[in-house]
Amino acid sequence: MSAAAMNSQTRRERRRRERLVERDAAIPVELYGLKRGTVTALTTCCVLFALFTLAPVVWVIINSTKTQSNIFGSFGFWFASPFEFFHTFANLFRDIDGDGTYANWFLNTVLYSLSGGIGATVLAVLGGYGFARFEFRGSKAFFAIIIAGLLVPITLVAVPLYLAYAKVHLINSVWGMILPSMVVPVGLYLMRTYVELSIPRELIDAARIDGASELRIFLRIALPLMVPGLMTVLLLSVAGTWNNYILPLIIFSNNQLFPVTVGMGLWSQHAGNSGDANLYPLLVLGGLVTIVPMIALFALLQRYWRGGLLLGSVAN
Amino acid sequence: MSETALRPSAPAVTPPSTPGKRRRRSAYARRQGRAGLAFVTPFMIIFTLIMIAPLGYAVYQSLYTTKLIGGTSFSGFANYSTVLQSGDFWDGVIRVIIFGGIQIPVMLAIAFFFATIFDLGVARWGPLFRAVYFIPFAVPIVVSSVMWGFLLDPAYGPFNHLMNAIGFHNFNWLSGNLMIPSIIIIAIWEWTGYNCIILYTALKSVPRDVIEAAILDDTPLWRIIVRIKLPMVRPAIIMLVFINTIGAMQLFIEPTILNNYQAGVVTNTWTPVIDIYSTAISNGQYQLGAAMAVVLAVIIVAISVASLGFRGRRREQ
Amino acid sequence: MSAISMEKLSKVYSSGVSALAGLDLEVRDGEFVVLVGPSGCGKTTTLRMVAGLESITSGTVRLGDLVVNDVSPRQRDVAMVFQNYALYPHLTVAENIGFALINKKVPKPDRERRVRSAAAALGLMDLLGRKPGQLSGGQRQRVAMGRAIVREPSVFLMDEPLSNLDAKLRVRMRSEVLRVHKAIGAATLYVTHDQVEAMTMGDRVAVLHDGELQQYATPRELYDRPANLFVAEFIGSPEMNLYEATVTGDELLLGSQRLSLGPARTLLAPYRGRTVIAGIRPEHLELDGGAGAGHAGMATLVADVRVVEELGDEAHVFFSIDATAAGASMLAAAAGEAEAGLLAGATHNGIARTNSRSAVRRGQRVTFRVDTERIHFFDPDTSMAVPRMPR
Ligand SMILES: Nc1ncnc2c1ncn2[C@@H]1O[C@H](COP(=O)(O)OP(=O)(O)OP(=O)(O)O)[C@@H](O)[C@H]1O
Ligand SMILES: [Mg+2]
Repeated sequence: MSAAAMNSQTRRERRRRERLVERDAAIPVELYGLKRGTVTALTTCCVLFALFTLAPVVWVIINSTKTQSNIFGSFGFWFASPFEFFHTFANLFRDIDGDGTYANWFLNTVLYSLSGGIGATVLAVLGGYGFARFEFRGSKAFFAIIIAGLLVPITLVAVPLYLAYAKVHLINSVWGMILPSMVVPVGLYLMRTYVELSIPRELIDAARIDGASELRIFLRIALPLMVPGLMTVLLLSVAGTWNNYILPLIIFSNNQLFPVTVGMGLWSQHAGNSGDANLYPLLVLGGLVTIVPMIALFALLQRYWRGGLLLGSVAN
Repeated sequence: MSETALRPSAPAVTPPSTPGKRRRRSAYARRQGRAGLAFVTPFMIIFTLIMIAPLGYAVYQSLYTTKLIGGTSFSGFANYSTVLQSGDFWDGVIRVIIFGGIQIPVMLAIAFFFATIFDLGVARWGPLFRAVYFIPFAVPIVVSSVMWGFLLDPAYGPFNHLMNAIGFHNFNWLSGNLMIPSIIIIAIWEWTGYNCIILYTALKSVPRDVIEAAILDDTPLWRIIVRIKLPMVRPAIIMLVFINTIGAMQLFIEPTILNNYQAGVVTNTWTPVIDIYSTAISNGQYQLGAAMAVVLAVIIVAISVASLGFRGRRREQ
Repeated sequence: MSAISMEKLSKVYSSGVSALAGLDLEVRDGEFVVLVGPSGCGKTTTLRMVAGLESITSGTVRLGDLVVNDVSPRQRDVAMVFQNYALYPHLTVAENIGFALINKKVPKPDRERRVRSAAAALGLMDLLGRKPGQLSGGQRQRVAMGRAIVREPSVFLMDEPLSNLDAKLRVRMRSEVLRVHKAIGAATLYVTHDQVEAMTMGDRVAVLHDGELQQYATPRELYDRPANLFVAEFIGSPEMNLYEATVTGDELLLGSQRLSLGPARTLLAPYRGRTVIAGIRPEHLELDGGAGAGHAGMATLVADVRVVEELGDEAHVFFSIDATAAGASMLAAAAGEAEAGLLAGATHNGIARTNSRSAVRRGQRVTFRVDTERIHFFDPDTSMAVPRMPR
């Protein structure tokens, strides 16, 4: 048996065991005193809502294979020939109507999301640890200000940012996009809560008594324990930048710098009168290509973020 | 570091003559304070640069007016009085309040319903449904608006075919009357899964024995849910109301994109943020736009504080 | 009639853990039965199966005459006090106590009367408006009791209800729980891992170990006639001293010391020439004042005192004799000490409980007197007690 096969087998075994333990930990359904048929009825509700949830996704998948005229002319929830998927896919790499190239936008989105997300996570991890485990003059006030930052509408910041950028030549600069993406007050808040719940003060004090420097304590003791919370923050901040629309819309006028969201917004605006350019299939397939990496990321990392999302409500 | 530690510092003993004064912190505490400051400084710098400074700048700008002739001059609260007297702006505010007032309760009810089902395990394939419902959270709002635009398209959209098939001809999901309901449907599609997961996690943390005690007391299931589970996840619900309200007040992307499928319904004052965007960016009236943004921020903060106050009052009882 | 009876009750969790193996246990009407055993032995599991919260892998549970294996916990008319009390945190004390009555659709005036009388019985009258978060541990415990008694159930289940309290409060609450039990009169199954609690509270005590019943008897019986080595060691504090001993004719050879057996001789006849395990409770070792031998069954044991622990009213004398210790804990302790390389002189293999005024010092050689009738004998192969003669 190959190592990979064995690996997947042990993984399956572990998952099976986890499921059984979970079953032991749950209250058996019989104890709720349900009427006969309740489970079926509720399962039906779940199916209906799942259909509602999946309908647009299924529609996108099906219609990413169609021509522009079939997207409008044929039944939306079934395939129609010709099969245009690869043709459309190739067009994602071309500037088809002068608005710009999808592939280019996609790379921009990846760049902004990764650098913004990683930067946001680093700042949140450092800051969350600092606020959770140190007291210094003004720490309470600083933290209160950051919490107030949760309430500030992004638009309120976007407009003056635009004005400020105009002064310091950050319009149409990559940094104009990345720097704001690194400010995620929710992330800092989550990290602080996470540290308070999962890293006991005594642990840090013990390390201090052993003579470790603060930096060393952070890197060798706190950081490893913060990984699950850190992954949640990373995922949320990457997704936040991936989805961001209004900030890039305001600060970029150069199509070359657009992220996918702004590019697609532009296409959807032009698609109606783009003549022969056939933008609708691109819009559909572009949407699909944008979704897939995010779904994959969330699916891969789900054991981290599932517990983490709730942290915000634990502390209060 | 070691040098500062060696330097003779202020006397360790506080002179007894100043009893009212705060005790000086020990050298150890001060050293730690400095370390703490070092950890939070990177965030604080960028936060100041990106949030605080622009906010201050916005407030500053909102007090000035630029005229075609005469340049920029201080105009006091003139911009604010323009905003406050603008019928269009307030129509937009009321529109998003109506939108949020319907969308948030409906969505939270749906999310709580499914979260409860998943928590109790009273439907088959719970984990699968949980994952499916979460998918829309991974879809950028621009993309979901584009998708829903296709689905609801008045001429070709499949949902229109559906309405035709069941006898509603000339049905237009994106007409003036139905634009808000349609956006509510889209927002429910986008956010229910996320809210559901958070509620589910909160419900999971209700101790098992509390529920078992209720079962031994022969509590009917609906009463376990309404009288025990629901109150115990109140903090999570309050947090969600909070987040969703802030989001709803800033409605922008969905109407902007849907406007490309049905022109003419979404005016450029349709929601406050659309209004701010078109005033400040499209029309170049920065100062007026800044004033609008400040007013919107005040409204959002007021609503949030009001809901927090409500929560505090409930707690005291 | 029995209020609860379990037959061959077993539980295997779906993750494969076997928590209980063929338990037979019976609680009579009005009886207070304590289920005791070390952590993880299956006490909670047993209780939860009686309540119906845990499915039964095999065997039967009867409440009264009725087999309840398939009866929902809602219909079993049992009340349970959980280890962590499981109070509803958002409801007041009064609402917590009255919650079950609302389910039973008891009319409001009646309900209030019953809540008040339960609260009065437990001294909770001043706390009715508080929430659990504002109560002390002991008060919470009483609310949990109140929630159970207000229902007037036919069976009471309690899972270590006192284990979260401090030592003083625990002692006080013991008598309070018993008082409530007397007043209600419902059959009670009470779980604890504390043998003192078990001995002082139970009409009968069931000792559980690794999912199996070791002995089910009155506290006195458990103390006087432990059925096996486990019970012998588990009951009594300090623990019983256990030694390997050889039976030779009329005498018992304990290391190099010979104890004349007296009447126990007949009992040990089948073991002549073989090894048995002899158990002596610390309180049955008397310091010999040099008054000479007493009656026929008295034997003497010479020991070196290692440590004396003064407790005020009594003293624990840690001694060593040249016999081989047999108790599980003593063996473990010996191994541990050897590993740690402690002062060789400090090792002990026995404890005696003596009068505090007896002025024994460490290093001294003393003589203990022991009534051989009070020595317990166990078969080294089966760990079972060598059957005693009926009194
Ligand atoms: N939900 C469960 N799933 C799997 N195994 C379990 C579960 N609950 C208990 N067990 C196992 O069953 C055995 C008995 O557990 P139980 O809780 O009955 O012990 P206990 O006697 O109450 O112990 P304690 O004094 O620590 O409360 C233990 O080995 C435990 O690990
Ligand atoms: Mg237990």
